[in-house]
Amino acid sequence: MEFDWQIFVDALTSEAFVSGAALTIGLAAAAQAAAIVIGLGVALLRASPIAPLRWVAATYVWLFRAIPTLLQLLFVWNALPQLIPSLRDPWFTPFLAAFVALALNEAAYMAEIIRSGLNAVDKGQVLAGKTLGLTSGQVFRLIVMPQTIRVIIPPTGNEFITLLKLTSLASVISLRELLTITSQTVSVNFRFAELYTAATVWYLLIVSIFMLLQSRLERRYQWTSRAEGRRGAAAAVPAIVTVNR
Amino acid sequence: MSIDPAPTVPAEPGPMIEADNLVKRYGDFEVLRGVSLAVARGQVKVIVGPSGSGKSTFLRCLALLEPVDAGRVVLEQRDVSWKVGAGGGTERRLAPYRSQLCMVFQHFNLFPHLTALQNVMVGPMHVRHTPKRQAEAEAMALLDRVRLGDRAGRYPHELSGGQQQRVAIARALAVRPRVMLFDEPTSALDPELVREVIDVMEELAAEGMTMIVVSHEMRFAHEAANAIVMMDEGEIIEEAPPDRFFTAPGHERTQRFLQLVKT
Repeated sequence: MEFDWQIFVDALTSEAFVSGAALTIGLAAAAQAAAIVIGLGVALLRASPIAPLRWVAATYVWLFRAIPTLLQLLFVWNALPQLIPSLRDPWFTPFLAAFVALALNEAAYMAEIIRSGLNAVDKGQVLAGKTLGLTSGQVFRLIVMPQTIRVIIPPTGNEFITLLKLTSLASVISLRELLTITSQTVSVNFRFAELYTAATVWYLLIVSIFMLLQSRLERRYQWTSRAEGRRGAAAAVPAIVTVNR
Repeated sequence: MSIDPAPTVPAEPGPMIEADNLVKRYGDFEVLRGVSLAVARGQVKVIVGPSGSGKSTFLRCLALLEPVDAGRVVLEQRDVSWKVGAGGGTERRLAPYRSQLCMVFQHFNLFPHLTALQNVMVGPMHVRHTPKRQAEAEAMALLDRVRLGDRAGRYPHELSGGQQQRVAIARALAVRPRVMLFDEPTSALDPELVREVIDVMEELAAEGMTMIVVSHEMRFAHEAANAIVMMDEGEIIEEAPPDRFFTAPGHERTQRFLQLVKT
């Protein structure tokens, strides 16, 4: 049996594959966004002056990094409804379960990344902000956060790509993401090579687009002025600058 | 263009800023052992002393960037002290006073994600709530004043050390401090860049800014200081006008220190 290009192209462009890919992107993006928010909270708790809060945060990171992601997914989908009856209702979809499991899991990793990013900001920056009369909240928002974001973009990009691929685990809870679609189609026509290649192309495409977005984001955080004449740096000059006099 | 227009109030009843018996401990180690210093409006005092003598710590305590274990910081007759163990809300109370006691740092501490102009605009916009357009105009004027108008759009890493420190001075001036505190402002600079920063500081002094400067730039001390203060082992051991300080220091430790600095 030779590689049938027609089957490959048909699968690649089929509605099922496109919707599977869309679901994969949607799940990964939503889980990553939630993970950043939760991770920021956990990272701040880990730096709290109140010891019990630090312990709670450290325990969270320990727990969610120690348990395999697949087990967390199965736990949320199968075990939680057993313990919480209301989760047996139809609103608790596979997508929601996968979102909750992946977001909680990813948040543990993001917490560590954000913590290291916060630590990377020179303490002198905080002093400089405070001596101008900025409040602690302003110092965090205006000074510490932008510098932290710059540091955490590359590792967060890594995490997002990992997360994109982890969404394939959700095939075990019958979420119709890209890999589930592929497996289901394969089980009908046994065209492994064509369909796996189609899935591969979709994953490559999705990851490539996000890598492109990441490099644009990194350029925005390069903090280099137009005057240095680097290409693409124009986007890095925030609107309030008036370079010319 | 001038700094905070020197108010034409009648003679001051007391000093602009006063440290009253400041004590600061790190664990068991007493960094400041009861330091008192008063600086009148428009005066410039230069603090010298060997490293580890507590100069920088003293300045940070004065700037309300570190709490003290005992003693008071008095700004224009008002006790603004920050004591160790002060409860929540302290930072919010201190913020407005901090901008009146603005500090310039040894390593500049410019915000790397902001241009020179934006660095200077941060204070006016977010502390003084100046409208953006006006903050920009003021910041531009301040950059002109430190002769960096043509560098307004540059980011800190695109500037030389001397330029960065001048931006840092403009940034401090932008919040209209009553007192400026300089913590070794030229010691991180290459020798050929020291002059441009000292020039700006001397101009400020001549215009009547109240300044406390930790520095070993003896030329600045000679030309701009009203008094030189010698610190050693967490105490002020001598204070004298520059001519007397350099020619006839009273304390034996001052004499030894001056020998070291001269060589």
